[in-house]
Amino acid sequence: MLKATLRSFLAHKGRLLLSALAVILSVAFVAGSLIFSDTVSRTFDRLFASTAADVTVTPRETLDETVPSGQTLTLPASLADRLSQVQGVAAARAEVDVEGLTVADENRESVGPTTGAPTIGTAWNPTERSPVELTSGHAPQGDGQALIDADTADSKDVRVGDRLTVIGQEGSFPVEVVGIVTFTTTNPGAALVFFDTATAQTKLLGDPRGATGISVDAAEGVSDAELKRRVADALGSDAGSYELRTADEQAKSDVEQLGGFLDIIKYVMLGFAGVAVLVGVFLIVNTFSMLIAQRTRELGLLRALGADRRQVRRSVLTEALLLGLVGSTLGLAAGIGLAVGLIELMGLMGMNIRANEMVVGWVTPFTAYVVGLGVTFVAAYLPARRAAGVSPMAALADAEIAEIGRPLRLRAVAGSVVGAAGAAALVGCAVSSKTSSAASLLGLGVLLTLVATVIAGPLLVRPVIRVLGGAFPALFGSVGRMSQRNALRNPRRTGATAAALMVGLALVGGMSVASASMTKSFDEQIDKTLGADFVVQNSNFVPFPKEVTERIEGTEGVGLVVRSQFVTIAVRMPDGDRVKTTAAGYEPELDEVAHITYAQGDTAAALAAGNLAMDKDFAEDHGVRVGDTLPVEFQGDRRAELRVGALTDQESAEGFGAQGGIYFGLSTLEKYAPGGQDAAVYVNAASGTGDDDLRAGLEKTLDPYPQVQVRDIADYKDLVHDQIAVLLYLVYALLGLAIIIAVLGVVNTLALSVVERTREIGLLRAIGLARRQLRRMIRLESVVIAVFGAVLGLALGLVWGVCTQQVLALQGMTALAIPWGTMIAVVIGSAVVGVVAALLPALRASRMNVLAAIAHE
Amino acid sequence: MSNAAAEHAPNPASADGIAARARGLTKAYGSGETTVLALDSVDVDIARGRFTAVMGPSGSGKSTLMHCLAGLDNVSAGQVWLGDTEITGLRERELTRLRRDRIGFMFQSFNLIPTLNAAENITLPMDIAGKKPDEKWLDQVIDTLGLRDRLKHRPSQLSGGQQQRVACARALASRPELIFADEPTGNLDSRAGLEVLGFLREAVDQLGQTVVMVTHDPGAAAHSDLVLFLGDGRIVDEMERPTAEAVLERMRLFAGGDPQTPGFDVVRGRSDGSGPPPGAIPTTGNPSPEEP
Repeated sequence: MLKATLRSFLAHKGRLLLSALAVILSVAFVAGSLIFSDTVSRTFDRLFASTAADVTVTPRETLDETVPSGQTLTLPASLADRLSQVQGVAAARAEVDVEGLTVADENRESVGPTTGAPTIGTAWNPTERSPVELTSGHAPQGDGQALIDADTADSKDVRVGDRLTVIGQEGSFPVEVVGIVTFTTTNPGAALVFFDTATAQTKLLGDPRGATGISVDAAEGVSDAELKRRVADALGSDAGSYELRTADEQAKSDVEQLGGFLDIIKYVMLGFAGVAVLVGVFLIVNTFSMLIAQRTRELGLLRALGADRRQVRRSVLTEALLLGLVGSTLGLAAGIGLAVGLIELMGLMGMNIRANEMVVGWVTPFTAYVVGLGVTFVAAYLPARRAAGVSPMAALADAEIAEIGRPLRLRAVAGSVVGAAGAAALVGCAVSSKTSSAASLLGLGVLLTLVATVIAGPLLVRPVIRVLGGAFPALFGSVGRMSQRNALRNPRRTGATAAALMVGLALVGGMSVASASMTKSFDEQIDKTLGADFVVQNSNFVPFPKEVTERIEGTEGVGLVVRSQFVTIAVRMPDGDRVKTTAAGYEPELDEVAHITYAQGDTAAALAAGNLAMDKDFAEDHGVRVGDTLPVEFQGDRRAELRVGALTDQESAEGFGAQGGIYFGLSTLEKYAPGGQDAAVYVNAASGTGDDDLRAGLEKTLDPYPQVQVRDIADYKDLVHDQIAVLLYLVYALLGLAIIIAVLGVVNTLALSVVERTREIGLLRAIGLARRQLRRMIRLESVVIAVFGAVLGLALGLVWGVCTQQVLALQGMTALAIPWGTMIAVVIGSAVVGVVAALLPALRASRMNVLAAIAHE
Repeated sequence: MSNAAAEHAPNPASADGIAARARGLTKAYGSGETTVLALDSVDVDIARGRFTAVMGPSGSGKSTLMHCLAGLDNVSAGQVWLGDTEITGLRERELTRLRRDRIGFMFQSFNLIPTLNAAENITLPMDIAGKKPDEKWLDQVIDTLGLRDRLKHRPSQLSGGQQQRVACARALASRPELIFADEPTGNLDSRAGLEVLGFLREAVDQLGQTVVMVTHDPGAAAHSDLVLFLGDGRIVDEMERPTAEAVLERMRLFAGGDPQTPGFDVVRGRSDGSGPPPGAIPTTGNPSPEEP
């Protein structure tokens, strides 16, 4: 039996090729993402472990910042001297390390990374643990000298002797590049600038006695943990305001900080893998179903010769496992290639990881084989059971595919039950008023309706394709009629083939509705709330130094300037919840630049000293009323009691890590969180100054600050659109993969159908069907299958999108927009996909030998 | 085999009563030592308006002969004409058009497109050509074959005999110059087979069609006007107005002895080679050696 299985596997290897490709793609994405993330985290583990001091002392951060406030926490540099006296300490150094700088070249262009990675300013204290070494020039001495890392220097063409402007939170200052440092370890992608310690302290921290941390080296024979204990003892009662970490802990914390970014890449990759697996399953199910249908006679013969059901089933499953084994092995190899590609891509983005240090943990091949074998096994199980059900009589009967006639009743029942449950979940999500429960209902509904559509797909083939292909006989005559009927011929097969395309397009449909709705909602909100002529802001909400604001105020034609800052706070609500969130502080003239709707109170009450305002619904949820006094905690353990002065009734109060839409007067913010930087400045023109003039003026005065942008309402909308577009691009990339696999599926189905219909095609050719007509017949069949999948997918996606919008509406995104243009483009695109998928099968059919096709056995 | 006919090959265009003609038709498979000659320099003329049967044992080349005459297969050597069109040397596209417009086909099995109903199958060649069928003729064909109440049925809803009748109707529908039937009764029970043969006979006698039928069933061959016997790629004999018994008898001789033995000639009652050569169409008035 095994021999027969092997023979059969080899005999059908051509037909299994496309299925194998689906397995390979799935496994490659899984393996690639695992290898990539393993390699990257190993690299960074090593980097951080090798560069961390034995013990690091930093100021304690009482609240993690979600939105940068511009504050840098400092500790006295003299602490280093104190700690160096501690028993077991070999040396202690004050470190200055400031993120979020902007460094501009002589053309006033930023030399920092374009990837969103930070530019870091550091005091030059080279030790054997430094990640860099000086490779040309000399160490910086005194004001106005700096080193820059070689990768940045290369990419931005900076040389020793060049003059740069460093824009830090305390202001900007000019430097001359006196040396280049080169990474001895992996460059994590940031741009590094080094100054002497005094410069870093005065210019970056604004505090000649400050430091951002102390590095402590252990004396011989003292372990890191022991050192940490001794340092903690030495700090005594002060220990509570510092964070002490051993080298291991420091490395772990550094990796965690980077982790977010790496996790995104990992999840994106796993998302691709998921789509590949999902769509691949359809392809494999279809292939095995067709192969078994074609081999009905052969299987019947095996049964007639005495093979029992179990043996037949096992034979088919063995074939599937062989496919899985081959697919997984090739997929693993492809995954390694993919990981290399990703690492190279990271290199282009400035993160130089060495591909030859690639880590392939045992988990990777294990997972690859589990996924590959699992997918094929699961996908082949049903066809295998069907194969086992072939009766010995089938060997004698005519082979014209017995399965066509099998009733779809079970599918109808299962499809409607699951579909009803999914619909109920979606309705529940649409009427739900709680974001969290609505979101989980949405997820459930999406899953169930997807499953229902896959199950019921074959039932929809007849009605939908009758309509879609309805014009074919009129347009293309008998060729059109035959292609339409061929698509209807085996609804199960057509359904499963189209399902692969449907899954991808349903995702696209849903996401495009959601994103169009988000875009429209944001537009409406911007129109409604933003009243300023211009907003001056950094990209990524990073604040900018005070001198930018001063420059704005000094610009000719500027009428009103309203500053705002962000701050991380924790509020103890009356119901006992401690809510950590980002709050905003505004200057009193807020009403001039924004339109805020209040449920109670007004802007004056909201911004008055010692007051705050929050969203009405948020307040209700937590039992807050106007006039209540709430304990508010700021960074560095500063505490305040603030009175609720007003409640807002805004459509969108949340987002970007902010919860509750809390804001107060800028003076209140500065009182409790001094040293913050302006995150956005709203500007109105003075009377008599046109917007264009003002913009020109602002852009001119802000020219030295490449990180700052001047935006009017339209620009602001564009910014939001761009951010949503990033999400869409990801979806389109997913779609691309889904479509590739779906095309493979259509090619597969058509190719096998062509083989199955050899005699029919021969007959058609004999009675005078031209090759061109034959090709057209297959092409039309392919198109109608693809469009069927697209229509089904888009319909499903539309429902998902509308429900998603209902969930988003709870977050204030109340506008619903359906991108009909995109939808129509997708349908047209799917027709093109159909044409492409038909190329090879049609060619093959038209090359078929007429005689071989009609000759009787 | 005599080449008498080939030597004074008439201008095909002038050969009025000839529907199809082959001269020196040779079809070889393989090459070198393994070459198999399926057809060995065959000369044949198919008379217009007659029912010709091609008989021979398995491997005698009878199907190959049909395929070559019908433009389904290319030839290794020789020439084939359909009417006055030489089809050897035509390109694939022209051959397809020729088959579509001028030839009708019936096969042993799998004659119909399963997705099309009977009426659609019947008009398929004309639909492919984008031509309007001649409704009057179509009605006549459908009524002759008794398919009127079966037109909306799919092939799977028809019996084997009905399916062959639909195939027959399709072959007749476009009034082709020549109908090729390849074992049209091979898959039918004897009653349905007789019915189909009766229709083919009727098509010739009443509708004036020309039919070439490949068969190995002497009973089927007996319905024809002329039987051509093929053996080892040559036409070894022919029989006018055959009966089943006579055909069977000849086949038996054929199977028993050397195909080149005079046994055939004995049956034909002619051995001098002065008469029309085997493979040539007997001219009208040429007395048949065997009167039924």
